[in-house]
Amino acid sequence: MGSKGGALATFMQTVSPKRLIVLVCLALFVLFVIPSQLGTRWMIIMTAVVIYSIVMLGLGLLIGRAGLVSICQFVLFAIGAWVALRINYLIQLPLPLNLLIAGIVTAIIGVLVGLPALRLSGLYLALVTLMAAGGGTLVLTRILFPNGGGGWTGQSIKGGVSSLLPRPMFALSDVAYYRYCVVIAMIMFLLATWQVRGRAGRAWAAIRQSEVTALAAGVNITFYKLWAFAIASFCAGIGGGLLAASRGGVSINQFPVQGSVQMLAVVLMGGVFNVWGAMVAAIFFKLVPELLLQWGLSTEWGTILFGVGLMQVLLTAPGGISDQLPKDLKKLWGLLLAVTIRRSKKTETPW
Amino acid sequence: MWSDLQPFFVLGIALGGVFAMSGVGLVVLYRTTGVLNLAYGGVGAMGALISWTMIDKGISGWIAYPGCILFCALVSLVYGTLFAPLISGRDSLTKTTATLGMLVIAIGLMQMIWGRNAHSITLPTSYWNYQIGEVRISWTQILGVVFPILITYGTVVFLKKSKVGTAMRSIANDREITAMLGVPVRRIESIAWVVSGVLCGIAALLLANLVSLDIVGLSFLVVPSLAAALIGQLNKIWVTLAAGFFIGILQSSFNTWPSVADYRGLTPFVLAIGALLVFGAGKNMVART
Repeated sequence: MGSKGGALATFMQTVSPKRLIVLVCLALFVLFVIPSQLGTRWMIIMTAVVIYSIVMLGLGLLIGRAGLVSICQFVLFAIGAWVALRINYLIQLPLPLNLLIAGIVTAIIGVLVGLPALRLSGLYLALVTLMAAGGGTLVLTRILFPNGGGGWTGQSIKGGVSSLLPRPMFALSDVAYYRYCVVIAMIMFLLATWQVRGRAGRAWAAIRQSEVTALAAGVNITFYKLWAFAIASFCAGIGGGLLAASRGGVSINQFPVQGSVQMLAVVLMGGVFNVWGAMVAAIFFKLVPELLLQWGLSTEWGTILFGVGLMQVLLTAPGGISDQLPKDLKKLWGLLLAVTIRRSKKTETPW
Repeated sequence: MWSDLQPFFVLGIALGGVFAMSGVGLVVLYRTTGVLNLAYGGVGAMGALISWTMIDKGISGWIAYPGCILFCALVSLVYGTLFAPLISGRDSLTKTTATLGMLVIAIGLMQMIWGRNAHSITLPTSYWNYQIGEVRISWTQILGVVFPILITYGTVVFLKKSKVGTAMRSIANDREITAMLGVPVRRIESIAWVVSGVLCGIAALLLANLVSLDIVGLSFLVVPSLAAALIGQLNKIWVTLAAGFFIGILQSSFNTWPSVADYRGLTPFVLAIGALLVFGAGKNMVART
């Protein structure tokens, strides 16, 4: 079905000039306008939003495109941070290389978790990933994050509660690191879009529709299911590495056991059928609790909102906000136009 | 060796009983409604916290403890009659994922109202102890063993002999045909939700006493219960009972091995994954769509 160059050419052809201009303007806004308007605290929060959007991009791809529900993305995110830190304390590599290795190792672990997907589907696969999430969180709570100690855990009591990955020289400040994360996020979103619009995306669509038909059409179901897990876990690993280098580093408190379920809730709320849903989900997950704090409210209202949102999405809007909002806005626009036209017809005086 | 193991064996068998009873509740609900209620532990935890608050305010335990059971039954009934019918036509995954929403809401409410600290409940039965050999056994632990066995026997007899039980088995077989035969399907499903809620309340109170009244710990009581239910292939109630006891004893026994004691909590997760891989490949697990 064509070489890599053919797939890339197809991908470039599907992006219209208008869309390209909008995307470039959005990128410039995110890179330059946002940092100029926000103080240090909000820059740190926005950096977290960008990092989490990468992780949620992977989960959205797995659920929306491949039709595989996984509840262990949050734990894979933590594993990515763990791997990046462990590598750093063993051999000091540049951050991009560290991220790549963390992403690949997490992808391998994600594929191992996804192996049951070859025999299970639907509810039972989701349960396996839920158990993996719970078990993984428990193990992490015991071994903690590496902080310069010895042994395979790299943990030391003297090392402190949180662990930090060193940033590149050109991204030491909070603003510079934010821009660094945005660039990485853009690369990951492009990678995801390329996969969705390419052969993998077509295979996932066929598998989602009917595995039997996909098999009959010659789709390698085993490979593409595992590939979906690999991509999702790779995103989680990259996100984990970036989190480990963010302000304050990582500590086990950032990964509560219920985080896996909350992440699934916000990803479904954000929408799994397009990549913008990941950004909406990340905004919900990181920005909403901060806004609640700012307004003097308990952050647990955010947790309750996620639960209600999950139930609402399953009931009325399976595509999530990113799918539903444009449709609702379009309906609203149509309604406003109809009302305006009706009013203007009434005010026209018949001579 | 046995003397070291004894106290953990006794605790384990009592814990296992709670897991078994919860597992039976999950199985009955799943077979009737197609919903694997992952909010089971969360609702139970909230009920137990309400009981704790009532006792803290000076209300008698004779009101507080039934209050927990009533609360759990009510929440389950409300969910089962108001929300669950709206998605009853969807697949099991969607119906089960919706219960995760309820779990998240429960955790959020609990952490907002009661904070993140652990509390404790001591049932009156915990004050009545017997010394057997080197081990002290309380009536709470005895209840944790005897109650699940009685509940399981009662459930099996109920499903086989009673009209409602027969209707539940019929719905489990084919919901649409059962409805066409004039069986009030929604009412029977509501009864299943209430029964599940009652068992949830009792399990939460026992577990809060045997371990601790910790929000996250109790909310994830569903994991060992689910493991027991999965080993019973979401169908075999006596196997679920036995599996629950096995999980409790095994998990507790790991306390005697220092090298793995810290990781004993992994037991139900590993067993659940094993059960899913062995039984969940489509042939052996009873699937409800």
